[in-house]
Amino acid sequence: MNAFAPGLPTPQVTSQEKALGRATYAGDLKIAGMLHAKLLRSPHAHARILNVDVSRAIALPGVRAVFTGDDVPQRAWGVKHKQQHVLAREVVRFVGEEIAAVVAIDEDTAEEALDLIRVEYEPLPALIDPSQALEPNAVKVHPGGNLADEIGIVRGDVDSAFAEADIVHEETYTTHSQYPGYMEPMATLATTDGSGKLTVWTATQSVFLARQRLAEALDRPVSTVRVVQPTVGGGFGGKIIEERSSVIAGFLAAATDRPVRLCLSRIDDMLSGAFSVPMKIRLKMGMTRDGRITAKDVSIRADCGAYAGLAPEVMLVTAMRSDNMQRLEHTRSHAQLVYTHTMPRGAFRGFGGTQMAFALNSHLTAMADLAGIDPIELHRQNAIRTGDLSIHGWKIGSCGLPECLNQIEGAIGWTEKRSRPKQRGVLRRGIGMAAAMHVSGNRTMGNWDGSTIVLKVNEDGRVVVLTSEADVGQGSNTMLSQICAHELGVPLSHVSVQTPDTDFTPYCLGSIASRVTINAGKAMIKAAREARETILAAAAEKLGCDAIDLTIEDGVVQSTSNANHFAKLPDICRYHIFRHGGEGIHIKATHDPDTVMMDGDHYGNIAPAYSFAAQAVEVEVDTETGQVRLIESWLSDDCGKAINPLAVHGQSNGAAVQAIGWTLCEELQFEEGRLMNGNLADYTMPTADSVPEMHSSIVESMDPNGPLGAKGASETAILPGAPAIANAVFDAIGVRITDLPITPEKILAAIAAQKEKRDA
Amino acid sequence: MMAKNRISLEINGEAVEADVRPNRLLSDFLRDDLALTGTKRGCETGVCGACSVLVDGDVVKSCLSLAIQMNGCSLTTVEGLACDGAPSPLQKSFMECGGLQCGYCTPGFLMAASDLLARTSRPDVATIRKNLSGNLCRCTGYQGIVDAILDASEKMHGT
Ligand code: FES
Ligand code: FES
Repeated sequence: MNAFAPGLPTPQVTSQEKALGRATYAGDLKIAGMLHAKLLRSPHAHARILNVDVSRAIALPGVRAVFTGDDVPQRAWGVKHKQQHVLAREVVRFVGEEIAAVVAIDEDTAEEALDLIRVEYEPLPALIDPSQALEPNAVKVHPGGNLADEIGIVRGDVDSAFAEADIVHEETYTTHSQYPGYMEPMATLATTDGSGKLTVWTATQSVFLARQRLAEALDRPVSTVRVVQPTVGGGFGGKIIEERSSVIAGFLAAATDRPVRLCLSRIDDMLSGAFSVPMKIRLKMGMTRDGRITAKDVSIRADCGAYAGLAPEVMLVTAMRSDNMQRLEHTRSHAQLVYTHTMPRGAFRGFGGTQMAFALNSHLTAMADLAGIDPIELHRQNAIRTGDLSIHGWKIGSCGLPECLNQIEGAIGWTEKRSRPKQRGVLRRGIGMAAAMHVSGNRTMGNWDGSTIVLKVNEDGRVVVLTSEADVGQGSNTMLSQICAHELGVPLSHVSVQTPDTDFTPYCLGSIASRVTINAGKAMIKAAREARETILAAAAEKLGCDAIDLTIEDGVVQSTSNANHFAKLPDICRYHIFRHGGEGIHIKATHDPDTVMMDGDHYGNIAPAYSFAAQAVEVEVDTETGQVRLIESWLSDDCGKAINPLAVHGQSNGAAVQAIGWTLCEELQFEEGRLMNGNLADYTMPTADSVPEMHSSIVESMDPNGPLGAKGASETAILPGAPAIANAVFDAIGVRITDLPITPEKILAAIAAQKEKRDA
Repeated sequence: MMAKNRISLEINGEAVEADVRPNRLLSDFLRDDLALTGTKRGCETGVCGACSVLVDGDVVKSCLSLAIQMNGCSLTTVEGLACDGAPSPLQKSFMECGGLQCGYCTPGFLMAASDLLARTSRPDVATIRKNLSGNLCRCTGYQGIVDAILDASEKMHGT
């Protein structure tokens, strides 16, 4: 068997160039005559731009051009809400909004020129606090008001269900914004070439969505823009379609008719936003005494900042996705998305799932305690199962949630640790758990969720794969290569996946919604099998035997019935091309899953499969300093089938640590809408010595719709971390923190309040 | 324009002479002047370690150093780790143990790990984690990186 067959741990196919330092990221690219850009940002949360004087900046030697909002297309761009321009026109709506751009011969000159731009603002009152957004006298962020989106979903008879519940629990949770923290700040190189085409190399999770947005923002035909994906240094949702710097870079190249590179500094990258959506979630649930969840009522207020972007879609996920994890009959959800004069927030790994996972899992542990039931048992009892149709119409083709729960329960020594006596000293340990689900794919845009693979078998029998699904580090190129090599019978090293390029690779939606493994993986199987049939037919012809008797193994076509009938793959591939009427082997296959778009009531089976995960952690709380230290973390992910276990474990571990950061140490600090800690020294992401060993395990539920049984991995894994930690903190000190992050200050305040209550 | 100064140094075993402005950052000098783009910029404030290089054997963050300070020094960047263009044992371990995903932090971690393994042939996990505290990775959760360094130390120095 192939050493890297699907199911076996496989080093990334891109690992060698990365380890050698030779992988090329957007900021590494150079073109002769390339200019450099820097951006001027608004210091005001809300102001009218009265005048921008660029004369001194333009006069600086080395400066080639300076642009302001007056120079950019009038057409507004956006996801559904068209409300942004390449550079702010007339009004700025958040601190950090781009109002001018300098193009110069080098970065230092461009930077120097920024200081020479004089902007006259008329500061306006700003709306910073989302809780005031819908008050009658609130300052308006947009002329239409501050309500960006509203969702209402009712299923069943919620009020009666609450009336019948034995236990009803209600609580409000707040979650804060997280910075994706990809190690590569946004970078783009854009150029024109005299042909009318604008080519843009940019750090993106989706070249086609990037192209769509560039065409819209620059107000030019889609086909006059070409987007190419270099190696990308992580995305986590922040590099889909909400970041603005690639749009600005594209504009600058088109406007100057020169190659322009725009590499954001870390500070710039953080000031640009692309943070997750902060939310306030009120959750009320009803349960029978024996632990059956009977009713759920959710209300959400989410803050998208100044522009809506993908936040409406994110909020929809928060409002309803986790309902599908359990066998519910009565739910109600009401969610409002409001604008504020703060940086735009939107897509982030988990896409709205982390916010609700925190509320729901905190809630379920609290309710389990009220009922005197073990929380794992409560999850198990209510878990949706394989074959179920969920309350929102999701067809659960595979569900490994019970197995995930079993795994974490055993691994952490749950029963034993739960039964140990409560500690009374300064350092107190506690355990907690949480569970979550996520989609693998999501039928939304254009009522399509397909993926196309073009596969070329060269005359030497080696394979080139064309796809526009983006490997941003998660390893999708490796997954595709493994499937291709396996199906075709060639060594992994004979498969190479080309870089996404809108002019050359087929239309795909890219790395969003955990859709690549399930959809592109399926397309890959189809393409490889068709290529195999083509090769075998040619071989049968050449060898004078029946194709049915032939197999391909390790690059050799071999007859199963006659050992003398064999040929090397290159001979067959050459034969296929170089004969009368012959041609290269060039296969195209598409897979569009059998899913439906949600209807107007948000009902419908949107994804071909759904992934599940559960996590258990042990923490130690220092009751004198309020510090929470993670002792152990066990995460179990049901990804259907791990095509590459090395990648799945890597994704799970990375997600778990990203969740730890969100829960314990990453906190964006704002003053009047101004980001006060926009650098990596003050915005503290976890380091290797601040986290313990991460344990990851895999449940293979073999989804009937997945390629070889596989579903998406990686996004599900970020969901349970925060509530597992919050539950463990409660277990340790009897204090429940309902607003993230869990800081030492909050712990100490809660302990003090608890003591006061006891003493009273 | 600021006057330039001539510096002579050795980078990845090759002698280099260059004229640099006194305020030229080492990271910019390597990336932009010498096209050694394996050295990355992740924060420009000395926190993320993506720009790490070895200067006379010690890990140095090139975003906090000036090129002019390198006069007479011997530098190793990630491009200098390979053996005849092929990955070194340490690089191989990063590839095989999930020590990298997006790869952006990788050059910096390789430098920190090289430095550690040069000083301590068989570091334990706690030592490894402590020595990586000057580098950030957002993809791996550090587990694959720690595993890779353990694997490399075993392969390079025996059990
Ligand atoms: S770029 Fe030098 S430490 Fe981050
Ligand atoms: S591998 Fe992506 S930041 Fe480390």
